[in-house]
Amino acid sequence: MRVEFQDIHKYYGWVRANVGINLVLEPGRIYGLLGENGAGKSTLMRMLAGHTQPSKGCILFDGEVADGLNPSRALNMGVGMLYQDPLDFPALNIFENFLLGGRKQAKKQTLHRLRELGERFHFSLPPGEKVSELTVGERQQLELLRLLDLGVKVLVLDEPTTGISITQKEMLFATMRQLAKDRGRTIVFVTHKLAEVEELCEEVIVLRRGKLVAKLQSPFQSDELIKLMFGSEHEGIGKTQLRPELGKEKFLQLQNVQLLGDKYTLRDISLQIRPGEILGLAGLEGNGQELLLRGLAGLARVGKGRLIFDGEEFQGRPYLKFRQAGIHFLPAARLEHGLFPDLSLVEHFRLAFPERNGDHGQLLPEEGIKKFSIQAQLSTSARALSGGNQQRLLLALIPTQTRLLLLEHPTRGLDHGAGQQVWSHLLDRCRRDAALIFSSADLDEIKAHSHRVLVFYNRQIIADRPVHSLGVEEMGRLMAGQGRAV
Amino acid sequence: MFQAARFGLSLGRLAAALFISFVITTLILLVAGAPPLHSLVILFEGGLGSAAKVTQTIAVWIPLVLCSSALLLTFAPGLWNIGVEGQIILGAIFATGFLRPFPAGGTGLHLVGALAAGMIGGALWAYLAGVLRTWGRVHEIFGGLGLNFVALGLTLWLIFGPWRRPGVASMSGTEPLHHTLWLKGLKGLSLNPVSLALAILAIFFVIFLLRFTRWGLSLKAVGQNPEAALLFGLKPNRRILEAMVACGALAGLAGGLQVVGVYHRLLPAISSNYGYTALLVTMLASFRPHLIPPICLFFAVLNVGSIQLPLQLQLDSSLSGVIQGVLVLAVFLVHGLEEHFRLLRRKR
Amino acid sequence: MDYLALTLAGILSAGAPLVLATLGETLTERAGVINLSLDGTILLSAMTAFAVAFLSNNPWLGLLASVAVGIATASIVALMGPVLGKSQLAVGFILTLFCRDLAYFLGHPFARQLGPELPVWTIPGIRELPFIGQVLGHHSPVVYLSLILTVYLWWWLFSTRSGLDVRAVGEEPWAAFARGIKVQRLRIVYTLMGGALVGLAGGAFSLAVKPGWGRPQGAEGAGWIALAIVIFGGWHPLRAALGAYLFATLQVLGIHLQEQLPGLPAPLFQVAPFPVMILTLLLVNVGKASWFQDLTFRYPGLKRWLSRWQVTAPAALGTDFRPEKET
Repeated sequence: MRVEFQDIHKYYGWVRANVGINLVLEPGRIYGLLGENGAGKSTLMRMLAGHTQPSKGCILFDGEVADGLNPSRALNMGVGMLYQDPLDFPALNIFENFLLGGRKQAKKQTLHRLRELGERFHFSLPPGEKVSELTVGERQQLELLRLLDLGVKVLVLDEPTTGISITQKEMLFATMRQLAKDRGRTIVFVTHKLAEVEELCEEVIVLRRGKLVAKLQSPFQSDELIKLMFGSEHEGIGKTQLRPELGKEKFLQLQNVQLLGDKYTLRDISLQIRPGEILGLAGLEGNGQELLLRGLAGLARVGKGRLIFDGEEFQGRPYLKFRQAGIHFLPAARLEHGLFPDLSLVEHFRLAFPERNGDHGQLLPEEGIKKFSIQAQLSTSARALSGGNQQRLLLALIPTQTRLLLLEHPTRGLDHGAGQQVWSHLLDRCRRDAALIFSSADLDEIKAHSHRVLVFYNRQIIADRPVHSLGVEEMGRLMAGQGRAV
Repeated sequence: MFQAARFGLSLGRLAAALFISFVITTLILLVAGAPPLHSLVILFEGGLGSAAKVTQTIAVWIPLVLCSSALLLTFAPGLWNIGVEGQIILGAIFATGFLRPFPAGGTGLHLVGALAAGMIGGALWAYLAGVLRTWGRVHEIFGGLGLNFVALGLTLWLIFGPWRRPGVASMSGTEPLHHTLWLKGLKGLSLNPVSLALAILAIFFVIFLLRFTRWGLSLKAVGQNPEAALLFGLKPNRRILEAMVACGALAGLAGGLQVVGVYHRLLPAISSNYGYTALLVTMLASFRPHLIPPICLFFAVLNVGSIQLPLQLQLDSSLSGVIQGVLVLAVFLVHGLEEHFRLLRRKR
Repeated sequence: MDYLALTLAGILSAGAPLVLATLGETLTERAGVINLSLDGTILLSAMTAFAVAFLSNNPWLGLLASVAVGIATASIVALMGPVLGKSQLAVGFILTLFCRDLAYFLGHPFARQLGPELPVWTIPGIRELPFIGQVLGHHSPVVYLSLILTVYLWWWLFSTRSGLDVRAVGEEPWAAFARGIKVQRLRIVYTLMGGALVGLAGGAFSLAVKPGWGRPQGAEGAGWIALAIVIFGGWHPLRAALGAYLFATLQVLGIHLQEQLPGLPAPLFQVAPFPVMILTLLLVNVGKASWFQDLTFRYPGLKRWLSRWQVTAPAALGTDFRPEKET
């Protein structure tokens, strides 16, 4: 099917997510849709899949205007979308997930279809298994089979490689090639990773700040793509900021610690952190990084072993004690878990700095807003902040005496400039003798900023290495369970 | 200009809600075979028709204001303290229990003690619901509601058991208190200046707590995002218990005042459903403190006026509750429809 | 033997309205909507059923009217909650009070009147069986309906396509929406259908189990118990029905106990189920508390024993889903 975007505009309040986009997608080709976070890629594709309507302009399928699209109509027209966080039903099993929204047919036939499709693409998906037990990669595979069963002609994949292993990624790419070549499907591959575009796509569409800036044929020039993606701001790319010096004492020590989470347990963890040290945690989602960070924050139970911070031993779930001792945790979901959506900036400061309530009143928040360049007023509610401003607010709320920072995905969802700002602040903190432990799905980020890297696989730490002895490719292999444990 | 426009809009909203309520109430009265306008006239005359009736209305206004403002404290951290009804009852039980050893009478100090005991009783009952919520993960709607029934059972057991009147145990309650233990009203009227002062004080106190203290702010923070509150070190569970206890204490005070100031004994129906009515008031006020006194006044007029319905028209007095319910539903409806059409317009 | 059979028959009969209400609310909540108004709805539909039966001298018309009332209140919940996005808890609570007061107000002329009751059916073939015949053979039609509906709803929810759709909507409405399932429509439809069953429960009270109308009717509080049983039953029809019979058993035992101890006031027995309600909810929820998890870390046996009781609510229960909010 031939898809045509005609002069598409999309506004969210004052934010212009897409501006005047004209684009044609031909059948049988694999397109890369490239752009940094916030460039408008997802918005454009969500309009194609009927999740939201353009403010202006229209989308044509085979030359016919598709008006008032919604997800089910888009699906009927043959557009299927695979979301970054799979839009499925974790509480139900694989068979039920496959069945939902599918065509009406007998149970036996459906089971047969599921098995047949699974075999064709070499996916192993036992129908009775609960989806909550699957990895993100397997959930994507299931969604893919479901969409193919529905006979989609245009397949959109939104950042599909974020949470999956290298093997799963290679399988996915092979499937995409097969679908485009043998079956004439149109594939749109949404990503911000250059390497993946170069590996898979025949054509690339680059978006910047909501505008279509280029449409190029393979082979691509990396330099050119970077310039297109980032415009004139691209100088910062690849230039790493200097890492802080390490202190001498070992102020955080874990000796054979067992951490008990809600869903699983991490066993036998031993590590040591020195002031100024930055420790990156690499691993696919759900492999243990989350629990380690929460355990170190005192939010998960320490079962066995010894956890010593600043010469003091901690047991149980000592969150408040840890907080007083100078440990601070920032969750990945900033608005959902980290901030109070309807409270103002001033109120956040009042809550975070109780000791400075009386004397400073407005002064402290004003200082904070200026210092962290939060683009908002004192009375703005957290809900109204952009992702970058939310993260800057969270950083501004960290008590000054904090000595160990625990961050989950510090720059997820931020554009390049905002990410750089976050890092320059974090590095500054570490230069003043704080230590930092962070997890990230972006291996380049881990490589660029850590002193040491822990790699998680199968809910174990399988590598603890200085960053210079561990390349991004090897990290990726270890995460997928394809390397020697160290 | 902008302010004026918004004010006009909210007046319009109120008018629409009142109109809807009026229509529905009229329909209900017609179904019941009652003359609609005449019934409403009797209802309002019954609440405002004479000085004595106005003072009765104020006597109802007092516990309603106490409980509604108390509920602001539990709504702030997002709690549905349905147990407020039982907290009133426990306040009444504790106040009665405190005064029972003094059948020969006492002084003002005894009254202060009784009210304090009432506050402790209400707080205790609220604490129980709070503990069930924070420690047992039983939603406060079910914990509180269950405890309301338990409180009712407790009252009945006391009235028919250990505290029964010599001779006959009956639904008319325990032996009346000695008259020196009555909180007296102004000459011959049931208007009670001490209770009135306490109610007014309570609402200002709650406004102060919520607007100007960090404690109040942290309650709101817990309500908005318990997980973030935990990360901010705000101790959400402790805040929840504190809010419950504070609310329960005020409700218990209301219960104590019903005993020493109104009925002078413990009755099975001592709480008069004021707790449930107060929940309606707080919702109708959309948790804005300054709207609570006028709404309570309106509801009190309905409650007092409805006493006339069985006497004059052989109708059940529950009409007041019907009108209160319709009014809150109508406000919700107008509000909801307004937002609904705004969304639809924006989509086009 | 006879005594046991009669007691069991009594439990089946006393439990019928609770089972109906519980099934209805389970259905509604499976679709992601909370209808908190049960206690009021049951009273209002009980009153209406009795009034209509009294005026028409036809209990079947009364039963029909109770269903209509259940649907009517549920439609207010559906309008305010899923459609307009108001708090479902708030609306349900207001309706609870409103319906109760309305029932007392409109039911005033019908209080303490003698009116028609539903017939008692004798099932030939079953009635003659020893023991089973005594338990099952001779009941009001609402009792048979409650038994049949329990099994039917269980089968429907877990073995049919439309049952799967309902569960999907209650779990992940956005995912369901993306697959072309009409989320909003299903939420409304099953709120109304659940409401119909709740209304039926009211009719079952005033036309069969606790015949007649008065203030109090005797069904006060039953709606709250039913809401708690839905949780206790883990949103599963069979387990929910089991919970309902558990409470019916308590009730029957209470009546026996009351005969033994005539000195205690009757209302005391009416409040007795509520501490039990709190305890059952404690049992199924306490496993989520962190102090308890710490405890089970020390005593793993405790965890094994308790884990079978733990329940998880439909993930999207009570949440606002309105695709038009997305621009």
